[in-house]
Amino acid sequence: MARTARKRALGAVAAVACAALLAACGGGGGDDSADGETTLTWWHNGNNDPLKGYWEGVAADYEAENPGVNIEISALQNEDLRSRLTAALQSNDPPDLFQQWGGGEMAQQVESGLLMDLTEELPEEIESVGGSAAGWQVDGATYGLPWSLGVVGFWYNKALFAEAGVEPPATTEELLSVIDDLEAAGLTPAAVGAGDKWPAAHYWYYAAVRECSEETLTQAGVDLDFSDPCFERAGELVESIVSAQPFNRGFLGTSAQQGATSSAGLLANGKVAMELMGHWNPGVMSGLTEDGEGLGEDLGWFPFPTAPDGEGDQAAALSGGDGFSCSVTAPPECADFLAYVMSPEVQRGFGATGAGIPTVQGTEDSLEDPNLVTVAEYRDQAPYVQLYLDTAYGPNVGGALNDAVSLLFAGESTPADIVAAISSASS
Amino acid sequence: MTLLQHDRGETSADRARARSAQGRPPSRRGSSASADDWRRRGEVLLLVTPALLLFCCFVLLPVAQAAYYSVWSWNGLTPLEDFVGLDNYREALGDPVFRGAIAHNFWIVGLSLLVQLPLGLGVALLLNRPMRGRALLRMLIFVPYVLAEAMAAVIWLLMLQPDGFMDAALESVGLGRAVQLWLGDPGVVMVTMMVVLTWKYVGFAIILFLAGLQGIPPELHEAASLDGASWWQAQRAITLPLLGPTIRIWAFLSMIGSLQLFDLVWIMTGGGPANASSTMATYLISQGFERFRYGYGSAVAVVLFAISLVVALLYQRFVLRRDVADRLGGRRR
Amino acid sequence: MTGRVSRTFAVGVALAVVAVTLAPVAYAVVSGFRTTGQLAADPVALPDPWVLTNYTSVLTSSSFWRMTLNSTLIGVVTTALVVVTGVMAAYALSRYEFRGREVLYTLFTLGLLFPLTVAILPLFLLLRDLDLTSSPLGVALPQAAFALPMTIVILRPFLRALPDELEDAAAVDGCSRLGFFWRIALPLSMPALVTVGVLAFVASWNAYMLPLLVLDQESAYTLPLGVATFSTQYTQDTAAVLAFTSMAMLPALLFFLLAERRIVGGLTGAVKG
Repeated sequence: MARTARKRALGAVAAVACAALLAACGGGGGDDSADGETTLTWWHNGNNDPLKGYWEGVAADYEAENPGVNIEISALQNEDLRSRLTAALQSNDPPDLFQQWGGGEMAQQVESGLLMDLTEELPEEIESVGGSAAGWQVDGATYGLPWSLGVVGFWYNKALFAEAGVEPPATTEELLSVIDDLEAAGLTPAAVGAGDKWPAAHYWYYAAVRECSEETLTQAGVDLDFSDPCFERAGELVESIVSAQPFNRGFLGTSAQQGATSSAGLLANGKVAMELMGHWNPGVMSGLTEDGEGLGEDLGWFPFPTAPDGEGDQAAALSGGDGFSCSVTAPPECADFLAYVMSPEVQRGFGATGAGIPTVQGTEDSLEDPNLVTVAEYRDQAPYVQLYLDTAYGPNVGGALNDAVSLLFAGESTPADIVAAISSASS
Repeated sequence: MTLLQHDRGETSADRARARSAQGRPPSRRGSSASADDWRRRGEVLLLVTPALLLFCCFVLLPVAQAAYYSVWSWNGLTPLEDFVGLDNYREALGDPVFRGAIAHNFWIVGLSLLVQLPLGLGVALLLNRPMRGRALLRMLIFVPYVLAEAMAAVIWLLMLQPDGFMDAALESVGLGRAVQLWLGDPGVVMVTMMVVLTWKYVGFAIILFLAGLQGIPPELHEAASLDGASWWQAQRAITLPLLGPTIRIWAFLSMIGSLQLFDLVWIMTGGGPANASSTMATYLISQGFERFRYGYGSAVAVVLFAISLVVALLYQRFVLRRDVADRLGGRRR
Repeated sequence: MTGRVSRTFAVGVALAVVAVTLAPVAYAVVSGFRTTGQLAADPVALPDPWVLTNYTSVLTSSSFWRMTLNSTLIGVVTTALVVVTGVMAAYALSRYEFRGREVLYTLFTLGLLFPLTVAILPLFLLLRDLDLTSSPLGVALPQAAFALPMTIVILRPFLRALPDELEDAAAVDGCSRLGFFWRIALPLSMPALVTVGVLAFVASWNAYMLPLLVLDQESAYTLPLGVATFSTQYTQDTAAVLAFTSMAMLPALLFFLLAERRIVGGLTGAVKG
């Protein structure tokens, strides 16, 4: 009988209640204190030592020299940081200084007007990192600065290579025969953390760098058009490697960095001969062995082999970096602190931790690890460095790409499927 | 469970109405009836408002917002300006990965019932007798259920690593051939998940059934055995029918839990390998939030809710209704 | 005759069930007494020698105690919020007649079907705007809100079952309706309140997703979040991860097991009405 009346009554109650609460909610926010003290919130992904402690020290030094500035650090695990950052940036109270990977994701943030334009604020610092800043620029303006830029390549076990009597391959064809020889010697040639998807996708990114010209890749980053046949050839190159079956048992569920059975752990413990991975691998590996040493002297590095028939620049490097951006609402001290982070002395100290490869020109000499020195040299000699494609193309297309490539590793998709997946994600 | 009590609400209201017609204590009647009415309303408002406020602000409002976002293409950053209508829903329902996730959820729903019901019932029947240390036993069986899913996931993840505890344990008892890539083989991972889920939740079924069994008067069994019925006959004829309501409610809770599964899968496999263990909730987080497609993720959230709702309503319509009918016929408590 | 056989059988089944149930927990606790080297050399073995350092380093780490404190605080606030607001609403919904009562009740019970997942992003934005991230309230408020439906479903039949004669008698003695609620209904429903309180506390203590997305300061982390973070941060040190996990779960486990009757009672109570 009184159904509609009931509903109306209830609706009114609910509306009033919510309105009251929202009115109460509206009062929040606005924490900038007026007493001359400035607080900088800083979100980064260095939640492990040495980086964690190093950043704490940097913040403390800056605070000591700049009385009245407090730096509040949130050191978050990488994946946690990513999932929180977007929502946080959109809120009333975004972090002031935060981790920035550049590329398409950053372009979205710029488009939404969330980032501080650093072009005028930090011209010297932008100059000091040279071409490395490219991934953090949109339409000629700079919105972030990379403080570490590394190159992806093969980390390998010299002792196991010697045992099988093979040398680091220069071409993809040689890579396939190295795989055969390692297998013939009773070794597992390679580990890949396909459970995390991006380590598998790195094969495709590099194959695309070898198969596609720089213009094609750059243009694809702008208009997200993947119709050039070189993208399908990239998939075929990856397929030829996968079908040689070089990977560790259960690689589809293997993680990249978690524990002794992760891909880095397998390499560190001498269970596999090589792994395609970023520059941070020695640091990760040393944490995954009982003695904290990793492979030690046996660890070597070689770049991704060339594909002589490809249209790409065969000396080009696939890289990714870590940078920082200031949010548009950040106080001016943010840029000043970022300048301090990018100063040669802080960069040198960073290089000495071995947690990455500094970007400020002239500070590479602070690297102590010989393998990192090799990586830095390869980076500096490359005609251009291509940002990780998932970062470059933004989280949506990049995510679809990583999914599709990991399905190729599972034998559940084809090179053409990959192109189709990223094309439909970009439309 | 919910609508069941909703129905009974009417009976109580009727009862109350009848009562007030019979005459209320003088203090609440007479000339001040409408004043009392207003006071009554004020009291209701006072009592209900805090809960309603909490519920509106932190449950209804965010859920409504999610429904609103679901018709936009939105990366969580820009203003909402790209209205896409039902495109997000169309895309989600057309995505083989999401369909796979829905299938996994229903697989878990079905197998949880098929495995845990006989197992839980069997163990409960066996344990439903005087036995030394039964209180302790009940407690121990309850352990996995009260353990945080996140912590259980971390422990199982470590145990199931290749060459880890599980593999070594199987080898040590001569079952080395049975060793699998528990979490790394797309063909095996769902079976592994079912084992872990059964471990985590079968104790809950046992305890609930035991509680139900203890509500059955022993005289019924004594009478049955006097009539010469065997133990099994007695269980079939007496126990199972009387346990019906408990079983039906357990099944309801189990189904809703299975449809919303997240923590365990997220920590153990993240939905992998090759999407072989994805659930609707892990799909929502990985496709929606990790790719910054908040509009799309919200559409997935709405689909997840709609599926739970339909399952719950159907179940209540066709299964739980009997309990309501039972209860209205003659109250058993 | 058959009685004895079936009794032996029952005891056997009971022991088997307990063994399977406890194996993973025992694995975690015992492995915490080993070194990671021992674990790698032989995953299935007793500690040899027994090592205490994993546990002592957990017990002496300030972050472990801070997480325990955070979890406790969030649990207590959640429980208090949900019990107080829940019993008030349930009382109105059970012992008052007003228009829209059943609709309101259905609205609350509908909440049983909303997984937190559905609302997580809007919730996050709301909490940021309220400046509640990294505050225990930021987790406790939504948790209490999502625990309300179950609480009301359990409490309403309980409060309704209080005999009407009791209320009438109280009224004769000059006790107002609110007075009846405060002086008679509340004390009488103490067992049910304890039950819903325990349920809310368990749910809060075990929660993972909401704290994961809401708490941005490591100093505000709760135990499940800490365990997951610790296990990715110290992945190489399996024994330490297991010791940390054990310490995080054991005290709570003991508490919850002691409250087992309450939990089961509450759930079956909700079932039976």
